Amino acid sequence: MKKKQNLWGKLLIAFLIIFFYAPILYMIIFSFNESRSLTAFSGFSLKWYRHMLESKDMMEALYTTFSIAILATLISTVAGTISAIGLSKSKRILREAVEQMNNLPIMNPDIVTAIGLMLLFITFQVEKGYVTMLLAHVAFCIPYVILSVMPKVRSLDPNLADAAMDLGATPLQALWKVIVPQITPGIVSGALIAFTMSVDDFIISYFVTGQGVKNLSIMVYTMSKRVNPSINAVSTLVVVIITLSLLLINLIPLLLENYSEKGRKRRKLFLRTGALLGVAVIAVLAVRGKERLEEKPFQGQVLRIYCPGEYMGENVIPDFEELTGARVITEYFDSNEQMYIKVANGETYDILVPSDYMIERLIQEKLIQKLDREKITNSDLLVKEALYLPYDPENEYSVPYFWGSVGIVYDTGKVTEEELQEKGYNIFLDPKYKSDIYLYDSERDSFMIALKALGYSMNTKEEEQLKEAYQWLERCVSTMDAEIVTDEIIDNMAQARKALGIVYSGDGAYIMSENEEMGYFEPLEGTNLWCDAMVIPKNADNPDLAHEFMNYLCSYEAAYDNSDFVGYTSPNEEVMEELFSEGGTYEGINAYLPRAGYEMDESFHYDEETKKIISNLWSKIKIVASNAGK
Amino acid sequence: MKKFSQLALPYIIWAVLMLVLPMLLIALYSFTNQGNTIISFSFTLEHYGKFFTDKDFLLVLSRSLMIAVKTTLLCLMIGYPAAYVISRTGEKIQNFLILMITVPTWINMLVRTYAWIGLLSEGGLVQKICLWLGLGEVEFLYTEGAVLLGMVYNFVPFMILQIHSALCKMDGSLLEAAADLGANEVEAFKQVTLPLSLPGVINGITLVFLPAVSSFFIPKLLGGGQFFLIGNLIENQFITAGEWNFGSAISMIMAVIMMLLMMLVKKAESRNQAQEEEK
Amino acid sequence: MEKKKLIEFRNIVKNFDGQFVLKGVNLDIYENEFVTLLGPSGCGKTTLLRILGGFLEADEGHVVFDGQEISKIPPYERELNTVFQKYALFPHLSVFENIAFGLKIKKMSKDVIEQKVMKMLKLIGLEGYENKNVTTLSGGQQQRVAIARALVNEPKVLLLDEPLAALDLKLRKEMQYELKRIQQEVGITFIFVTHDQEEALTMSDKIVVMRSGEIQQVGTPEEIYNEPANRYVAGFIGESNIIPAVMVEDYKVRFDDITFDCVDFGFKENESVDVVIRPEDIDIVSKEQGKITGEVLSVLFKGVHYEIMVETVPGTTVSVNMHVIRNTDVTSADGKEKISANDFYVDIEDVDTLDDKEIIALSNAQAWNPATDEYTSVARIEHQLEPQVGTYPVAFFTAGGTKIEKRIFVVNQPFVKNEKANEAVMAFNFFITVDEIRESHALDTDLKTWANAQGWKLSDENTSVELFVDYDFEAGEIKEGVYKVTFSTTGRELKIHTTDAAKEGEEVGLTFFAEDIHVMSKVVFEE
Repeated sequence: MKKKQNLWGKLLIAFLIIFFYAPILYMIIFSFNESRSLTAFSGFSLKWYRHMLESKDMMEALYTTFSIAILATLISTVAGTISAIGLSKSKRILREAVEQMNNLPIMNPDIVTAIGLMLLFITFQVEKGYVTMLLAHVAFCIPYVILSVMPKVRSLDPNLADAAMDLGATPLQALWKVIVPQITPGIVSGALIAFTMSVDDFIISYFVTGQGVKNLSIMVYTMSKRVNPSINAVSTLVVVIITLSLLLINLIPLLLENYSEKGRKRRKLFLRTGALLGVAVIAVLAVRGKERLEEKPFQGQVLRIYCPGEYMGENVIPDFEELTGARVITEYFDSNEQMYIKVANGETYDILVPSDYMIERLIQEKLIQKLDREKITNSDLLVKEALYLPYDPENEYSVPYFWGSVGIVYDTGKVTEEELQEKGYNIFLDPKYKSDIYLYDSERDSFMIALKALGYSMNTKEEEQLKEAYQWLERCVSTMDAEIVTDEIIDNMAQARKALGIVYSGDGAYIMSENEEMGYFEPLEGTNLWCDAMVIPKNADNPDLAHEFMNYLCSYEAAYDNSDFVGYTSPNEEVMEELFSEGGTYEGINAYLPRAGYEMDESFHYDEETKKIISNLWSKIKIVASNAGK
Repeated sequence: MKKFSQLALPYIIWAVLMLVLPMLLIALYSFTNQGNTIISFSFTLEHYGKFFTDKDFLLVLSRSLMIAVKTTLLCLMIGYPAAYVISRTGEKIQNFLILMITVPTWINMLVRTYAWIGLLSEGGLVQKICLWLGLGEVEFLYTEGAVLLGMVYNFVPFMILQIHSALCKMDGSLLEAAADLGANEVEAFKQVTLPLSLPGVINGITLVFLPAVSSFFIPKLLGGGQFFLIGNLIENQFITAGEWNFGSAISMIMAVIMMLLMMLVKKAESRNQAQEEEK
Repeated sequence: MEKKKLIEFRNIVKNFDGQFVLKGVNLDIYENEFVTLLGPSGCGKTTLLRILGGFLEADEGHVVFDGQEISKIPPYERELNTVFQKYALFPHLSVFENIAFGLKIKKMSKDVIEQKVMKMLKLIGLEGYENKNVTTLSGGQQQRVAIARALVNEPKVLLLDEPLAALDLKLRKEMQYELKRIQQEVGITFIFVTHDQEEALTMSDKIVVMRSGEIQQVGTPEEIYNEPANRYVAGFIGESNIIPAVMVEDYKVRFDDITFDCVDFGFKENESVDVVIRPEDIDIVSKEQGKITGEVLSVLFKGVHYEIMVETVPGTTVSVNMHVIRNTDVTSADGKEKISANDFYVDIEDVDTLDDKEIIALSNAQAWNPATDEYTSVARIEHQLEPQVGTYPVAFFTAGGTKIEKRIFVVNQPFVKNEKANEAVMAFNFFITVDEIRESHALDTDLKTWANAQGWKLSDENTSVELFVDYDFEAGEIKEGVYKVTFSTTGRELKIHTTDAAKEGEEVGLTFFAEDIHVMSKVVFEE
């Protein structure tokens, strides 16, 4: 009986270890994969590591994660220990009050704490960024430190400090020489918890960060929608750092002990903590790397860009930095609405890349400034389709970034073009394709297809029509089992995981370039002809540099890199034609060249009332979809 | 020694500022309308009304709670036996195993979750193993199963560590006493080990349930876009919809539900705690 | 009354990590006995108990219980119960539930359980406590619950593992009576483990004295006390004077050069033995009337009696000359530093092992800041000592370079041997200043250090013997000159418990009856 139990126990533990480490191992292996695939290993390569090292975003994220973790651990350990000692001598009421307060972050879901802190920073107009993230981390770490130190303090002989002071120690000496050594195990475990919590945190950091400050979690979260093996590389690096630290923490005290044989336990603990910190600092410094110093026109200046994720060529930023000497901080948004909220709440950026209707809104609300066209000499190079659009008729505020349409990407093996022509958007209600369709998580464009399918204008303000559109979408998600996705649609459709999906033309182009079996179709009911453009917010810190960037992006080199990499249609005429024509990356791919001049096509206008209605209805659709799911 | 009590003062101020005030702000936002300034706010229950009168919102809430309950149960089912087995090994192996379980928690949670995407995705290792086992082509990624898996993977170490520490705290002589009084191993486990490890179980449940109910990146990464839980709902209100007041109201609702649940748990635990205090 | 044999240990051997904790123990325990396993911690008594309880398995040997070999039977099937050292009460159960635990396991009906538990509560005097939480009980109450929890199962044997160790003195005494009463009332065998000899003497029907995994003696408390089997038992049980002796012939034993009548016989002629005389068996009489005489060293009042130490055989003595000299401290040029040291003697054999630290101690070298009176360290020493008799210069330096020069006399110092007492002492003449003597806080200890006085066992050089210091000067009024300082060991000391007072320093006679001399065969213990 006992033997059997042992066997089961061993099996369970073995299973658990495999369970814990298999994904990590898998990740490490695939960080060396030559291709992008996460499922098929096609050959050994270090290119994702090169990508990682070249990506300032990733290195910054690594630096932020560990520097915040170390600082937060240090601060919260010291503050927590001191407070715990103080509290142990305080009145019971006070102690219980603090216990209750400490329970707030411990006993509340992270997201509640996160929102509370975000509201706090916004209310007191503290600019969100590195400091707020650090403050937040310290705030949720201290309670854990106190929780772990307190029992040790309370189990101390209350006369210890008195004895020390009786022997001539000052209160401070009594604290440091007598009390602290006694509670070191509690302090160390508290510090470890704090470090773990800080490194692991996502939700709180996500809500309290700003100015493009990202830790690893935020980086993975914003980059994970498309397969990006560099994440594997960076994760592997984290695993290596942690493993090395563990090894060093255990080895350094051993080495040092050879010199001083009388290394007592307490010293060992201190040494370990010291070693841990040392290792961490070295790691951080190593990651931080070196920064070059040269004389460039914008040397040392900072440009803050806020744009959609996966929306820029790989070399655009490095080249621009090389050219100007400026440092570029990029932050990514999932949707125009997300961007709007941040901007409206006073976060400062130098360049935004919103869509047409959002630019209209920003103009209306006076959140962006007029451009100095003199400084953007390269704007001559742009195609007319992307200029003088209704949202900014004089192009006073914006410089086009990408443009295109919304359409249906389809698996030519499952769907024919004739069928699409016949059914238009209503193919999304065809039971034949149940569980085989993707909708895109954009409130505007989802309502666009519904309204177009029903034969209405996508800019309608009629509540009746919107209601009908809502019902159309509700039917789609509840009876057709449609999945609402964001950028993961790109990789998924490139792998032909579903028959049909709503995509932007640029993504369609990328999908078609990856998989010849896929097609792109713009329904005859009309579509959204959109344009994303660069604008400069009113509160921009460095409008000069922003102009410089706009001008640079209009140039052939930057525009080529951008469009070639991302697949969206370039507003630079030469680039557009080159990429579409023979030998170009998107040769013959119709998605790259959106249709022009079709009367049913429209572009979006901003209307506050309608926006609100659509926004609410779309939230509901997502919930319905989720509830219908399983 | 009295002097030391002053050491706590700065923290009390800090705690009021950084821990209590944010909660008050959430409450304030949840009872007011957009565009209010602190000077002129009008009290409203509109946001709570909006949440409680809509069956879809309630469904999201109940689904989140269900997922969290399932996650917690799974973690318990895996974590308890694991902690028990570990606690019965020798000291060296025990320390090693505990380290092995702790190390993954030092690797960022999102990174850990991301690692599963490759394993679970179409043509990935898990599917291949299923095929090999003759289970057919099972789709994993973007299902509830994947979300549950991700949550269990992320949170089960906390469960194991908590239960393990409770089991370790237990005086070995209690088991001897039980055997002495005629209880065989199974009975000794039922009558002594299990009830005495309950505080650890409760701590573990807290540590798993709380993050499970509010996590929004695990459903987003592994559940796909259509997997909408209460955490996603709150995130959506703040990040995309800009409905902070409504978002605050949902947060408040969640905080209150958690508080009630924790109070229930505390009640169950209070007896044990009273005993601990006596010692 | 013929008692039935209940438990037999047959050649029990147990080792932990290569350490033998039990070295072949044989022991019989009978029905309705209160048996105590007595010994210091680590003697194996608890291990023996745990083997009987089934929590440990013996490496060798058999345990027979009620005629049945039980070595392989798990604890939960053994008909005996244990009261654990720290009680091991289940913290999650109430008093009632704790006591009912075993009965519930046996699936007894509710009313029977209730009846039995209530009876037990009555037995232990905790009626009305059934619903209390065990963790809120006092130590004594917890103790009783633990006993009740075990007894309610009606075991044939109750094992008690140092159950009183955690209680305070008064409670412990109370519980001793209580335990004895309970044992007599329920009429089963109690096996009680303790290291407290008094506890053992008070409660037991039979005491088993153990040491290093072996049984030394088994007997009633009277037998153990009055007729200890060897010096170990004698020393462990009660207070005693143990004296090495020689059995001259039957009824004649000789120690400290005097032959005494005794009642013991059966030893070989001139066999080395140990003699024990209990302190209460010795009377103080006048010098003329005593069988032996001695000097009263100390008198301690102990309540009902005095404890008087009498030295019957003087110890080993050595005297040295203390040269009290003028202060010779050196002041640095800037006056900010002072350093002092003395000449000293050292034995030629010790030169090799003499290090700087010892030189500083022997020379009493000190450096200080005269303005603040704070000590600074002696940073450096220069000398060229050789292991040859002679005089060698030595210089001490402060960190600031202030220097004092002194001499080291290497001598071939003879030491005083005392074969009879198996000891030797040695000390050196020394130099010291008036101030150093006056400023000494613990002059006896300092004198030993300055004179480098040492005492050791002849049989083992590493075992030191404590020295006492004697001198006849007043430290506070000492002047330059030569003084005699005497270092001595104590000789034969006898402890006497008597109601008659005596004066310290008085010469007295001691007397005892022949039957109070207990002769024991000598045993050699390996550690």
